[in-house]
Amino acid sequence: MADKSYNPYAMAQAQFDKAAEALNLDQASRDLLRQPLREYQFSIPVHLDDGTVKIFRGFRVQHNDARGPGKGGLRFHPQETIDTVRALAMWMTWKCAVVDIPLGGSKGGVICDPHSLTPREEQQICRGWVRQMARNVGHDLDVPAPDVMTNAQHMLWMLDEFEAIHGHKSPGFITGKPVGMGGSLGRAEATGYGVVYTLREALKNMGKPNSETKASVQGFGNVAQHAIRLYTELGGRVVCVSSWSQKENTSYSYRKDSGIGLDELLKITDRFGEIDQTAAKNLGYEILPGGAWLEQDVDILIPAAMENQINAENVARIAKRVIVIAEGANGPTTPEADQVIKERNIFVIPDFLANAGGVTCSYFEQVQSNMNYYWEKKEVLDRLDQKMTSAFHAVNELAAKKKLFMRDAAYFIAINRVAQACKDRGWT
Amino acid sequence: MGRSDAALPEVCQAIVREIPAGWQFAEFCRAEIELNGAVYREPGWNPSPWVQSADIIVNDVKVGAVRVYYTHEMPASDMGPFLKEEARLVNSIASRLSHFLVYRQVRAKADSVQSALRDLQDEGKSEWRVVLDLLRQTDDDLFGRVAHKMLIHLSWKGIDEAQNLMRGAQFGSSGREALLIEEPNRPHRDSKYVLPGETNEETFQIAARHLSSDEILICIQKWIQEDKLSFVTQVVNRHLTLPAVVDALSRHNQLGPGQATLQSPVKRGVEVALIRRFFSDQLEFINIAKNFITLEDFYPLVQNIIYGANSHGKLGGKGAGLFLARQILRKYGANDPLLAELKIPRTWWIASDVILEFMHYNDLDDIIEQKYKEISLVRQEYPHIVQAFKRSRFPPDILKGLSVALDDFGDCPLIVRSSSLLEDRVGAAFSGKYKSLFLANQGTKADRLEALTDAIAEVYASVFGPDPIEYRTERGLIDFGEEMGIMIQQVVGTRMGPYFMPLVAGVAFSRNEFRWSPRIRREDGLLRLVPGLGTRAVDRLSDDYPVLIAPGHPGLRANATVEEILRYSPRKIDLINLEKNTFETVEIASLLHDHGDDYPQLRLLVSVVRDGQLLQPRGFDTDIMKGETVVTFAGLVADTPFVKRIRNILAVLEDNLKTPVDMEFASDGKDFYLLQCRAQSYSPEFRPASIPKNIPRDRIVFSANRFVSNGHAKDITHIVYVDPSRYVEVAEHSTLLAVGRAIGKLNKLLPKRQFILIGPGRWGSRGDIKLGVNVTYSDINNTAALIEVARKRGNYVPDLSFGTHFFQDLVESRIHYLPLYPDDDTIIFNEQLLAHSPSILGRVLPEFAELSETVRLIDVPQVTDGMHLQLLMNGDLGEALAILAHPSPTSTASLAAGPEGASPVQDHWHWRFEMAQRIAEYIDAGQLGVVGLYLIGSTKNGTAGASSDIDLLVHFRGDETQQCRLKLWLDGWSLCLDEMNYHRTGHRRGGLLDVLVITDDDIANQTGLAAKIDAVTDAARPLRLGRSAH
Repeated sequence: MADKSYNPYAMAQAQFDKAAEALNLDQASRDLLRQPLREYQFSIPVHLDDGTVKIFRGFRVQHNDARGPGKGGLRFHPQETIDTVRALAMWMTWKCAVVDIPLGGSKGGVICDPHSLTPREEQQICRGWVRQMARNVGHDLDVPAPDVMTNAQHMLWMLDEFEAIHGHKSPGFITGKPVGMGGSLGRAEATGYGVVYTLREALKNMGKPNSETKASVQGFGNVAQHAIRLYTELGGRVVCVSSWSQKENTSYSYRKDSGIGLDELLKITDRFGEIDQTAAKNLGYEILPGGAWLEQDVDILIPAAMENQINAENVARIAKRVIVIAEGANGPTTPEADQVIKERNIFVIPDFLANAGGVTCSYFEQVQSNMNYYWEKKEVLDRLDQKMTSAFHAVNELAAKKKLFMRDAAYFIAINRVAQACKDRGWT
Repeated sequence: MGRSDAALPEVCQAIVREIPAGWQFAEFCRAEIELNGAVYREPGWNPSPWVQSADIIVNDVKVGAVRVYYTHEMPASDMGPFLKEEARLVNSIASRLSHFLVYRQVRAKADSVQSALRDLQDEGKSEWRVVLDLLRQTDDDLFGRVAHKMLIHLSWKGIDEAQNLMRGAQFGSSGREALLIEEPNRPHRDSKYVLPGETNEETFQIAARHLSSDEILICIQKWIQEDKLSFVTQVVNRHLTLPAVVDALSRHNQLGPGQATLQSPVKRGVEVALIRRFFSDQLEFINIAKNFITLEDFYPLVQNIIYGANSHGKLGGKGAGLFLARQILRKYGANDPLLAELKIPRTWWIASDVILEFMHYNDLDDIIEQKYKEISLVRQEYPHIVQAFKRSRFPPDILKGLSVALDDFGDCPLIVRSSSLLEDRVGAAFSGKYKSLFLANQGTKADRLEALTDAIAEVYASVFGPDPIEYRTERGLIDFGEEMGIMIQQVVGTRMGPYFMPLVAGVAFSRNEFRWSPRIRREDGLLRLVPGLGTRAVDRLSDDYPVLIAPGHPGLRANATVEEILRYSPRKIDLINLEKNTFETVEIASLLHDHGDDYPQLRLLVSVVRDGQLLQPRGFDTDIMKGETVVTFAGLVADTPFVKRIRNILAVLEDNLKTPVDMEFASDGKDFYLLQCRAQSYSPEFRPASIPKNIPRDRIVFSANRFVSNGHAKDITHIVYVDPSRYVEVAEHSTLLAVGRAIGKLNKLLPKRQFILIGPGRWGSRGDIKLGVNVTYSDINNTAALIEVARKRGNYVPDLSFGTHFFQDLVESRIHYLPLYPDDDTIIFNEQLLAHSPSILGRVLPEFAELSETVRLIDVPQVTDGMHLQLLMNGDLGEALAILAHPSPTSTASLAAGPEGASPVQDHWHWRFEMAQRIAEYIDAGQLGVVGLYLIGSTKNGTAGASSDIDLLVHFRGDETQQCRLKLWLDGWSLCLDEMNYHRTGHRRGGLLDVLVITDDDIANQTGLAAKIDAVTDAARPLRLGRSAH
């Protein structure tokens, strides 16, 4: 019964097996890559505020470090399982490889619910995790980062414990730190800009000048806002953007054919990316149903909100004019919709590649921390541009050469790079 | 006269000097006091014919008079040249002077007793003898009363001589006591006692033989003290007017020290009588209050009460609750500095029956009968009553009282709160029905007084508002003679730019009904905290959120991650605009932007959002305003004893009031103020439900006994049961996602708040959606309850989410949450019904037919012969029960009344149903191209509430012109019905019909709501068309 149930690790392995088949990988490489190199599972005793002691379960899975030190988040989740962590660690290996940064893939976590923990207890969990893992992590081994229900505060507690144990400063041990405490500038922009760097290259390849394109964006959060800023600076025109309304529990699309004004909209948007409807109307925006962003007569769609937004139900409503979909969100397209998009020959920049700006910036943070020298924002973004641009071209060339769908090409290139590194090191 | 030691001539001379200033033409006014033969005047006095006079009376004997003259003839006024008020003033001066003289006499007497005692101590004589002698010489009556008490005292001690003496005194020598025994049912006549002078002497001789000197002396002293209280007792017990009671209290207060520590039945009696008189005649209240409220506490209180000359009123429920809470906390403050520093805002009270005086004065008496009118009429007339009240004048003595109160307050902002007698009687349930109004209280005195009277009139008028009347009718309280006390309170706060508000305010409950972690116990309490005025913490706003804290466990946060904290933090603030003289709501961000630097102790309120982290501003963090801030109260919780103080307060109050409590509070950054305290209130659907016993097992769907909170959800027609064992077997990620989508669709399709969602693990899981259904709040926001099932896996039971993924949305939208542990032997989980009743998902949502065994949609009436599900939860007992029962029409209506708690006196749905039938009857179907009319939604389901619309499906087969005309015709109905509904219920929607036009195609394709026609569950109800249909 249990083996029938959905298991993210089994699913990641199955996905890998398919790719390995297509890449014609040798058996040793398959055996090595379809499971993690190392796994740590351990207990963290914590004295709770009420005097009792509770034992928490911690994990760290290092899937592969052939290309460099491991990289991956730390999750605090009450129903964390080792299989979830394994699947996510594997995913990190491919993610770092696709943008060609010299890092491997890891993931970790603790089974706990921060809603049932006081801040002091959370701190104890963080320090306890580091005490267990101190010898097996570090800037040259494995670098943790914030993930589900962890943030910069947790990273600083962990860094502090790590440095206390090792007796020296080691800011490169962990990323996601605040600026001024070993963090990097440009993190807010990284993902959104990354999407547009790849989009710019895609349009260049198609011979389509930016200034002749129109785009429609789903979502108005951090990623969407920065993507709109850069795309507009490059000469493009965003004519429609959708935004969630907390009060009405639904979303709306805001359209202005002459192009939306990012700054005027930001003035009437709260920190959750919710646009004030009345104010938008007064600024001359047309208010449409939430799904309308998808139906606009534009060249480019940028889904930058949630997963599963382009699906079997609405994929048919995508306008004929659309030539590119740049996936700013994670998993915005369902497999059924993907099939239709493939058939219609719309060029997709897959999430995996398009939103890799985040992990790249995280890598930059680590580099700066190791040097203990921090770049200006422009330098961070320029380097990001270089990384994203070359990553895009590598994937695109492979797709063109092998006549692959972009999503598959990105996946294949990542696996291929890791397999090659393993081979070069003589592991397989 | 405040200087009791000043010589009498000096006092009189001073009064004579001051009097003219109080008269209209002061420079021509001269006064004269004649007292015990002496006359006191100021220079320039001349006898004239224009004179007012009042006698000075002491112990019923006239000892002099106060006279006021005009030296020249003045324009004619109320009484010759004098005003009515001036006549009253001269009377009151004379009467004050009389009291003063009485006081001096008594004081002199007390002094002589004291000095006699001192002499005795020096000389070593039999002390009590000397005291008695003195008493006999100065106050023979008092001597008699003391002697009588001694006689009784001796008799009760069983001293025969005394008993004989007493018998002789009472009944002569006829020995009537036999009669007492033989004829117990007959009143004994001539039992009036006679205690002649010689008996007094004899009594003390007996006392001297049987009691020690010390005992006699102590008794005598005690009785002399008690005697001083006697006039207070008399006044209070004789139901004299408030002025008389207040006067007696003031006189007693002036008698000077000595009695503060006195403990005696007499004093206790006076205290209880006063508690009953001022606060409440509820025994429960008195029982507690008498332990905390002493006679001395009334002295300052009565100084701040405004009443009419004939007033008999009380202070009302809210006032009584607050006063008692303050007293309790004061007492405990002796051992707890956190409680000692607690304050209540400066308050003036208006006696509860002043409202009647006010109405009588303005010939508005007949409005009292308003409550017996039809509710629609009440609603219609209410705006006029408000206007009539606002146009009315207050009686002059009340106006004068208000004017004095305003002088006392100065120009600080005020709140006028209702404090009605019914609030006292039915407790919290009635609270919030009457108005409370904020006043900026700026401008000239005349302006401020006008605004104040205007506000009081409006609060008075709210007694006759439709909501309270409806509520009272429904609860059988309509015949209660409702009176409305008023509390005028200073608003706690500080000025910031043009604004005035508290630093922080909120409401605290001693029992936590919304636990977000299994580590929080109910008795850890709940705190809803907001910046500014507490109005936003009291109300559930659904689009803004107070900060939630469990005072017993402040470290466990309802919102743990930065994203959650940002999402569920207060965004707006209520405050008073002193420049515009208004109550306003403004965005916190813009307030901080403009005036953040002036905000006192801002660092206690906000956290700075930086790099995905929330930082508490420290020391010289001058950048607070530059960065993005969010209200978290992190500093207040971590760096101050604020939460601990609230916890201690709640504990002490709950312990002493013997009931869970809730309280409103505010702080100006310096002091903590208690604003209101009462038994913990629950909104109707969150009251503890009674859990029936002896329900046949087959009628129980499930029971629970862990982490249960209070509340009920009745008349549930559909259960959406995501079968845990099947969900865990789902192999495809996309299928798991589809489960979430199916739930989202059902949420839109099923009748609102009439279905419950039961599912495995954590509702709202993201990422690892195997652990719980992947939904967002908008996918579940129409459910009545969200239920999580923790099934054992191997040897462990998984943790549940406690709704934390959208916890605060659940709280603010009043959606119940309950965890179930089916593998626990002590509970019932009817798997037969949940897992094996037919699931109709496939028929309702054909696109999800494959999921119909995983997402089981159960039409409860269909599988149970018309029964509905009732979810009953009682946190006090820690029990919850879901049972099958036949729907009761009243319960349907009361649930449908919605969160406003508006009443279901009339059958909302029935009226709507009738109107819908009327529409069908009148519609010219042929002319308008209408083929069929169908009813869906709450009117069809019989659950429509006061604010529900009527959902109509119109099957249309016609051209565009017909469609236009149809729209016009229905719009007309919609507006008319809306207006009618407004008069019935007070709810206005801008149109009562929600019309959806569907075509043949829609029906053929089953698109959208067209699928409701002939649907398998919750099908649309066809209405019979009256005129020529197609």
